[in-house]
Amino acid sequence: MQYPNFLDVGFLSRGRPALLLCTLLLGACTSTPAPAPPSHLHVLAMEAQADAVRHYARGDYAGAMRGFTQTLRLQQSLDNTAEVARNQLNLARCELALGKTEAALQRTSLVSEPRLQTESKLFQAQVNLTLGRIKPAQTLLSQLDAVCKDDCTYRGSLHLLQARAALLDKQAPEALAHAENALRLLLDKHEEHETANAWRLMAAAQLALSDPIKALGAAQAALTIDRQLGLPEKIARDWLLIGDIQRSDNASQALESYARALAVAQATSLTEVIKTATQAIKENTP
Amino acid sequence: MSILIEQDADAAALRRGTRQFLLAGAMVAILIVAAILVRQGLFRQTASLGFITDTAQDINKGQSVKIAGFRVGSVDSVVLRPDGTVQVGLEIDASHMRFVTRDAVIELRKEGLIGSATLEIIPGTDKTRLAADEATLTFSRADGLSALASNLRDKIVPILADIKTITGTLADPQLGLSSTLAKAHEATTSLNALLLTGKQQASDVGSAATRVLGKANADLGQVGRTLDTVNGALPVLLDKTQRIMGHVETITAEAETAVPPAVRDGSAVVTDVREIISGAKTAWPIRSLVAPPGTAKLVTDSDPHAEGARAVP
Repeated sequence: MQYPNFLDVGFLSRGRPALLLCTLLLGACTSTPAPAPPSHLHVLAMEAQADAVRHYARGDYAGAMRGFTQTLRLQQSLDNTAEVARNQLNLARCELALGKTEAALQRTSLVSEPRLQTESKLFQAQVNLTLGRIKPAQTLLSQLDAVCKDDCTYRGSLHLLQARAALLDKQAPEALAHAENALRLLLDKHEEHETANAWRLMAAAQLALSDPIKALGAAQAALTIDRQLGLPEKIARDWLLIGDIQRSDNASQALESYARALAVAQATSLTEVIKTATQAIKENTP
Repeated sequence: MSILIEQDADAAALRRGTRQFLLAGAMVAILIVAAILVRQGLFRQTASLGFITDTAQDINKGQSVKIAGFRVGSVDSVVLRPDGTVQVGLEIDASHMRFVTRDAVIELRKEGLIGSATLEIIPGTDKTRLAADEATLTFSRADGLSALASNLRDKIVPILADIKTITGTLADPQLGLSSTLAKAHEATTSLNALLLTGKQQASDVGSAATRVLGKANADLGQVGRTLDTVNGALPVLLDKTQRIMGHVETITAEAETAVPPAVRDGSAVVTDVREIISGAKTAWPIRSLVAPPGTAKLVTDSDPHAEGARAVP
């Protein structure tokens, strides 16, 4: 018996229609049916949320709040409790960014979704630290420390908040340890914002421990990342920190750093940073 | 014998007459004595009052006690007490006790300042409460002539000193009256000159004001003429404005009916376009080129305002 020579051009030209038909039938049998497209409201909600996230990334927190509010309303109409809770948390972040700290704390307490509890408590601890309430923040962080271990997604952020709390409590060695742990966990993840935060906290802790050389290195690492991310307030604050580190050894360089901070703050109308930088320049001018 | 009997009858009559005369005389004497005693107040009802003082000077037994200038009694006793003070007892007619109140004051006065001393009872303000028999009242001494003279001296001496100072100042050639009068004369002369100047200036101001008013009057006339011109042109302007407003109203009314449908249509078109694009996004091969709208998440940032850098003291 002779098998047909599939490589023969003549054979191929004669069997082409049948071959095509077989291929189509095979493809049809093996392919899975396309999923049903999302509903119109779902699409609107997701697009509104994506739009709000873009606004937030650009620093337009008021625009982000509008977007998340619209998303919240749409998700509420779809009875999507998980997304409603997610957007409550997003709105709380916008309120924190806009300086409405108490409102942010109140909104976070409304989040009861079990899957968001870790993130919600982390955010509550963050807001408490912003308000200067160290003890409540430390209580929340201790609770999270018990449940969120190294395999937890938010372990790095948890270490960072613990470092901030320790610095506020004037426990510089503990703050340094947490910052270093956070940096170790964040190095493999693409979380540039948190990485810069970790470097900054390390610099602050080393300055508190009177180690200006290491502090300067860490502060400059934070500054490099913040410049790449394009975050003016953080850039200005990094320059202020560098100035504080240089103040004890080299007053003229410290003045230059404060002047850089002032220039960045004035370009973006950061009132509080302008005041701090001006005061620092006045105190260190001979 | 009859002569002897007649002499015995005459003697008896004489003896009878003598006895009657003596009896009458005795009765008259008794009456006189009684009248004297009554006059002396032996049968009069009295009450006792007293007071205590530091010294019995100008106080004598039998001294008059008066109320409102009328004698109502006398000093009955003046006794030195063991503690060195003097207790004086008064005898007052009982009928006059109704004037003596419990808070009455007994004042020692000298009549005419240098005359004899009398005790004057000055009733108190509470007339309803009268002093009882043998009550002890408050005593005071009215100022005598020497006290008055001393008070007067104390008041006059400072006044005399001031007068001496003033007269000395007045007599001072630099600060005195003559110098003051000279300065006043100078001031009067300057004031006269000032008044003359002021009068002149006022008259100048008056002239200037008159000129300004005249000019203002002329300006007002000009304003009046301008207003007349405007008044003439205003009705035409108002008519034109009204026509324009009418046009605007027409356009607005038309827009009210035409614009909303256009907006709705536009909105519907946008919705349709969105649906077409959404549908295209889910169709092959576009869906492989466009990322599906998944759940977007905010970037994780535990320190958006770099507050960690501020924690360093």
